[in-house]
Amino acid sequence: MRVLAIGFRIICGLNALIGHIFSWLSLGIVLVCFTVVVQRYFFATSYVWMQDLYIWLNGAMFTAVAGFALMRNDHVRVDIFYRPAKMRTKAVVDLIGAVFFLLPFCAVVYAYSIPFVTRAWSYSEGSANVGGMPGLYILKSFIIVFIALLALQGLAMILKSIIVIAGHSDLLPVSQRYRESANLSDSEGDA
Amino acid sequence: MMDPVLIGELLAGLMFFGIIGFLLLGFPVAFTLAGVSLMFAAVGMAFGVFDPSNFGALPNRYIGFMTSEVLVAVPLFIFMGVMLERSNIAEQLLLTMAKLFGNLRGGLGMSVIIVGSMLAASTGVVGATVVTMGLISLPAMLRAGYDPKLATGVICASGTLGQIIPPSTVLIFMGDMLSGINSQVQMAKGNFAPTAVSVGDLFAGALLPGFLLVGLYLAYTIFKAITDPESCPATPVPPEEKKYLLREVAVSLLPPMLLILSVLGSILGGIATPTEAASVGAVGAMILAALRWRLSFTILRETTVATATITSMVFVILLGASVFSIVFRLMGGDNLVHEFLSNLPGGPLMAVAVVMAIMFVLGFILDTFEIIFIVIPITAPVLLMMDVDPVWLGVIVGVNLQTSFLTPPFGFALFYLRGVAPDTLPTSAIYKGILPFVVLQVLAIAILFAFPGIVTWLPRLIAG
Amino acid sequence: QGNITWRMVTTWPKNFPGLGVGAQRLGDRITAASGGRLTVQVYSAGELVPPLQSLDAVIDGTAEMSHGAAYYWQNKSPALSFFTGVPYGMTTPELTAWMRYLGGQELWDEVYDQFGVQGFLSGNTGTQAGGWFKNELKSVEDLKGVRFRTPGLGGRVWEKLGATVTNMAAGEIFQALQSGTLDAAEFVGPYNDLALGFHQVAKNYYMPSFVESGLATELVVDKAKYQALPEDLQAIVKDVCQAEYDQVAADFYANDPRALRTLVNEHGVTVRAFPEDIMEAGAKASQEVIEELRNSDDPMVKKVTESFIEGLSLVRERTEMVDLPYQVSRQKYLKY
Ligand code: NA
Ligand code: NA
Repeated sequence: MRVLAIGFRIICGLNALIGHIFSWLSLGIVLVCFTVVVQRYFFATSYVWMQDLYIWLNGAMFTAVAGFALMRNDHVRVDIFYRPAKMRTKAVVDLIGAVFFLLPFCAVVYAYSIPFVTRAWSYSEGSANVGGMPGLYILKSFIIVFIALLALQGLAMILKSIIVIAGHSDLLPVSQRYRESANLSDSEGDA
Repeated sequence: MMDPVLIGELLAGLMFFGIIGFLLLGFPVAFTLAGVSLMFAAVGMAFGVFDPSNFGALPNRYIGFMTSEVLVAVPLFIFMGVMLERSNIAEQLLLTMAKLFGNLRGGLGMSVIIVGSMLAASTGVVGATVVTMGLISLPAMLRAGYDPKLATGVICASGTLGQIIPPSTVLIFMGDMLSGINSQVQMAKGNFAPTAVSVGDLFAGALLPGFLLVGLYLAYTIFKAITDPESCPATPVPPEEKKYLLREVAVSLLPPMLLILSVLGSILGGIATPTEAASVGAVGAMILAALRWRLSFTILRETTVATATITSMVFVILLGASVFSIVFRLMGGDNLVHEFLSNLPGGPLMAVAVVMAIMFVLGFILDTFEIIFIVIPITAPVLLMMDVDPVWLGVIVGVNLQTSFLTPPFGFALFYLRGVAPDTLPTSAIYKGILPFVVLQVLAIAILFAFPGIVTWLPRLIAG
Repeated sequence: QGNITWRMVTTWPKNFPGLGVGAQRLGDRITAASGGRLTVQVYSAGELVPPLQSLDAVIDGTAEMSHGAAYYWQNKSPALSFFTGVPYGMTTPELTAWMRYLGGQELWDEVYDQFGVQGFLSGNTGTQAGGWFKNELKSVEDLKGVRFRTPGLGGRVWEKLGATVTNMAAGEIFQALQSGTLDAAEFVGPYNDLALGFHQVAKNYYMPSFVESGLATELVVDKAKYQALPEDLQAIVKDVCQAEYDQVAADFYANDPRALRTLVNEHGVTVRAFPEDIMEAGAKASQEVIEELRNSDDPMVKKVTESFIEGLSLVRERTEMVDLPYQVSRQKYLKY
């Protein structure tokens, strides 16, 4: 069990680190887009690569942060039954979901994205817009990053479920333990 | 051997209901949608009615979302809203407004409605608005002797206005989807000079209906103030605070109001695209925060993390829903929906009403984004083919889904408020309090059905 | 052997005048000519994949065919621009000549080989319109800071002329023009532009385009699957494409002037020619853009550029000696 808990902590740590780093891209989106607006309206100039850049930053951000959001339990659930459920029931739901829904999804997207991404690398694909950003292949690779981080977090979810079902919740960090529903807001994200 | 077309359609239909069943388990919606669709795709493959190479479309669609010019407005608006909230600008706004209206009976309630509609205008993120207002104004209203039913009803209802009052992230996604579907449908109908539908049109279309709702909420509060004065007593400002009121209005109320109005105005006035205006709004929110010495590293970090995770959550639902729509469409679900909707007695209005009813019921368990990502792509093509106005459709859907946030026992807004309300407040008060507002919502939908011009007039006026 | 069904993804909306209609007709003709042995199922833009992912869809095997324009994929190889048309490039018959008799098709096959696909020309819009401008242009000076929507290499040329170039999807151009985000935009020509309603917001319609002098569309097929087809089906695909190339060109030739009459007579549009100095500066800028391609590090791009320049130098002799003087005389002397 202890080994599982260590594995769980490592994955969560990784996603938290990546999540915090890539969250800053949201500030990047704001600043680059604002610069484009100012240049266009006040200086009558614009650069196609900048128009690509802030759009691409969003693509990189929401894919890279997805695993972190799953860790924080930000992904919306239908919680009519889930919310009031016992800890163990929640663990079983997460175990089933991770094994039968999340991981197959990751596997299918991975299988169909690998050739797509490898190909983009093979000819160093850039923006479809002439004068746009180089490195579209890097943005395309974020589909793989997305899937990898999500699958890892799915694995962490499985580890956590096993730990909880085995009755060792105390091995989990406090913020990551299931709560039984005294506080109704616990499993809600921000949206 | 059964006809493969029939098998495909049968599977597609079963999949729709199967997904709803599996969602009740409570696993995150985005992945349940994708996972269950994959299971049905596997069954479809076994019957030879689904070709797995169609999944090759997934990375192509994903990179399409990742490079979408229209959808990048979503993180920008969320950033603006979260920044206003985390830097306490929203709170100050609410407190000042409450003082301004405090001398009136029901005044506190009215100020919550007005601020709710403004915060709504800035973010469109329902949870955050309900939580903010619940934390700040619910204690104030209860202290002032408000009927808890009225207090919670006002907060929940105004907190969901963000769905419909532009700018709204829901309307951005809806506009993006409807503009594509509309041009397809118009071309298919042989109309080579269709009026394009944009996010801006949807914003313009939603403005008057948003005002209509605000008006109805205000009217109800005034009605309560007259017929049941006990339920909403006045909260006069002490005279010694009065002399600072003007200054407070100038500092706390006007700047964020001007920011929100100028963002919205530049979109509706056609000066900027929603994305451009959103970036200006986000920078504006940072400047307002900085002017109050609230733009610390911590607040910036909180804002970026909240923006990134909310954005990711919404987009990941879109990614999961793509799996569903590929499987559903290619197994023949499109035909199924088409046959069902176009054979209803009562024509287009009946078809819209049925789709609305389905969405409303889905609203008991699902969030707005999931519903529109699932339902709009499969029903809107049929409805637009029947000459339903796309902007009207989008706005009606918006109001309808906003209502589903409020319907007990599963309305999301009620949960959010329950989470921040004091334990002494019974849940039944929240449920009872929202009922009059649900009636007002239904009334608003009826009005929009009877007078579609309320939606279509402004976009047409702007388009000239 | 049983019947085969192929999926064709396209970059055009369903029923889009000239191009979307042409893609559908091309699919239907293959189905009909093969007696249903090769049935083509056409998906319009976005139905299966986003429009600009159509080529990827074929390479990935999500679809067997894609109908679009080769220059959309210039980020995969800059050489591909030549098989659609480049600034100050060839007209429709000139491009046809280069592709069929002067080595164009062979080079195109070589470029597409690396992606495992094969391209056939499948339509041509003819020389396009130069664009819709809110304000009249007197000289090249008037282009300074003009916010102009035009994609591809043409955009680079306009940038060199001083315009601020943006890319924007077709569906968004109208609103951007109306709102002032754009001062000018070009799309295709009267036949398509009428449909998008630009005449409501900009009245100066400039002709002709010097950056899109004859835009060819393509049908791309999965090469391995194509070569696995029986020979008669291979021939049907190839020949239907050739027939459609002419069909689409005829469609534009007949319907562009009809649409232009409507624009002028019913919507008060003023047709103008670009001032001489813009045409001249445009040629200079176009030459610079082509030179950049000629100096590319990529030997394939270099080779295609050389072949294009050589081909153009040859065919323009005929055009300028025969077609051009005839047309000038006809315009001057023939009265009806
Ligand atoms: Na809003
Ligand atoms: Na063009």
